Amino acid sequence: MITLQNIEKVYRTSTIETLALNNINLDIKKGEFVSIMGPSGCGKSTLLNVMGLLDEPSKGTVQLDGQPVTQYRDKELARLRNQKIGFIFQSFHLINDLTVLDNVEIPLLYRSQNGKPRQEYAKEALTKVGLSNRVKHFPKQLSGGQKQRVAIARAIVGNPDIILADEPTGNLDSAMGNEIMNILQQLNDDGATIVMVTHDEQMAKRTHRLIRLFDGTQVL
Amino acid sequence: MLRHLFTLIWNKKKAHSLLIVEIWASFMVLFGLATLIVVNLRNYRQPLGFSYDNVWAISLKSNQDTTDVANKLQRIVQRLKAYREVESVSRMSSNFPFSANQMSNGVEYNKKKVHADMYVTDGDFAKTVGIPVSVGKWYRNADSVGKYKPIVINQKAREGLFGDENPLGKVISDKFRVVGVIENFKAKGEFMVNKPALFELVKASEPWNDTMLIKVRPGTDAVFEAKIVKDIASMMTGWSVEVDYLTDSRKNQHNLVLVPVIIALIVCSFLLINVALGLFGVLNLSIAKRRGEIGLRRALGATGSGITTQFIGEIWVLATFAMLIGLLFAIQFPLLNVFDVESGIYITAILIAVLVIYGIVTLCALFPSRQASLIQPATALHEE
Repeated sequence: MITLQNIEKVYRTSTIETLALNNINLDIKKGEFVSIMGPSGCGKSTLLNVMGLLDEPSKGTVQLDGQPVTQYRDKELARLRNQKIGFIFQSFHLINDLTVLDNVEIPLLYRSQNGKPRQEYAKEALTKVGLSNRVKHFPKQLSGGQKQRVAIARAIVGNPDIILADEPTGNLDSAMGNEIMNILQQLNDDGATIVMVTHDEQMAKRTHRLIRLFDGTQVL
Repeated sequence: MLRHLFTLIWNKKKAHSLLIVEIWASFMVLFGLATLIVVNLRNYRQPLGFSYDNVWAISLKSNQDTTDVANKLQRIVQRLKAYREVESVSRMSSNFPFSANQMSNGVEYNKKKVHADMYVTDGDFAKTVGIPVSVGKWYRNADSVGKYKPIVINQKAREGLFGDENPLGKVISDKFRVVGVIENFKAKGEFMVNKPALFELVKASEPWNDTMLIKVRPGTDAVFEAKIVKDIASMMTGWSVEVDYLTDSRKNQHNLVLVPVIIALIVCSFLLINVALGLFGVLNLSIAKRRGEIGLRRALGATGSGITTQFIGEIWVLATFAMLIGLLFAIQFPLLNVFDVESGIYITAILIAVLVIYGIVTLCALFPSRQASLIQPATALHEE
């Protein structure tokens, strides 16, 4: 599903050069639930950004469904992100001026989906995460766990093949974190491929495979 | 996407209220200025109706001399006609073309009333200022003997009084008989509204109507002006003589219209520049504050150009909200026929104001929106 070959990512400023990823080779299979662990600054989020086509590697190739996408242009990358990948972030990234329903609809806006079916799909996604009764609420009126569930609904509304979750339980207490993990596991059981960055060993143990990074290098 | 943008802006209406007021105020000022410009341009495009090249107005004042003034005025007319440099002479009231004076009165025919500018002239007026008579003829000095005074009216007065009827021979206000019709007569210059006008034959025995219009040969200069002033002064002791070139008087009249328009244009430009700078600043700040959102939208499938379009779309929606409020005010002008200006002029001014506002907000949004599209999604999401 996702194949990374000899990935290297270097951040350069005028005075310093930082090697964020060094010779990463990974193959994520369809239907896998993979977790990435490692200390802060080891390159976990950078790796997730490269997989999610949000960042270009300095070297190496990224393949999605066997197609090399490294040379794709902005428009093609945006289309792939929209149709194949769902993102979940630690800090939820909800737009506070939009209702829960409007937030969840956003990925479908970029597919030029019409209003009525768009709302229906968004409501379906919210029902899956147990928030069908909060559609008219604004993010400020929700708890942290509810916000993350809205973010999950937004990630799955477009029915993507891959879900990339960057510390999805990082801002939540353990009960809420477990709730979110249960939803992710359910999505994986339903066929979604999930790659999750986490600091939590307990959460990582619930996934199929663990990848460990240290100073930008894959150690496990 | 449009509905999404409307929802986004509507939900942020409190935060945007000052911006909306600013755009609304700019729209109203632009609407006023555009109305002023459109009115004047429309007037300017209508023909003046007469010729002013090489025409001089000689204003005479008898001052303390009250003896046989009418006869003396006729002698001056004869004297002016005798000059080789003078092609034509006409005696008329003091409201000569491009002068600051104005005479107007209501006239009536079959219960139809119009308010017309009145001019008292002799039979040579049309020849002196080159007015073509479209229907009938210009009156002659000999026509003053009948019961009714002969008059010539312009097309506007004809439409107001007679509609489609033939005006020739018709008596108006029980004292005037129409002998001719001319097209336009815009005495205050090209920017004047084409109003009803009525020309009445001057009576030779009247001591007033003491302005002489003379058409001089091309190339006649100030030396001749000095000569006629000196000659008249020597003929009529104690009289004052003042000569105006109609070309200069026309410029003065134009300035009376153009100077306020130019001042309004400058003030409006400064206002719009301020609004534009304000908008530019607010948009820059807004984009800086919304880097996380931009990163998120890129992650969810927006292209760089999609981000540019979104921010331009947002400012258009904001401008639309402001102008919808402005339209509620502006539309009252044509509906209530304010200042008796044609509805078409107000509608044109509204369209101009709408286009200029959209143009300004687009220009202000272009650079910040372009900057927003260049934000790297991974960096923006990490900052949040």
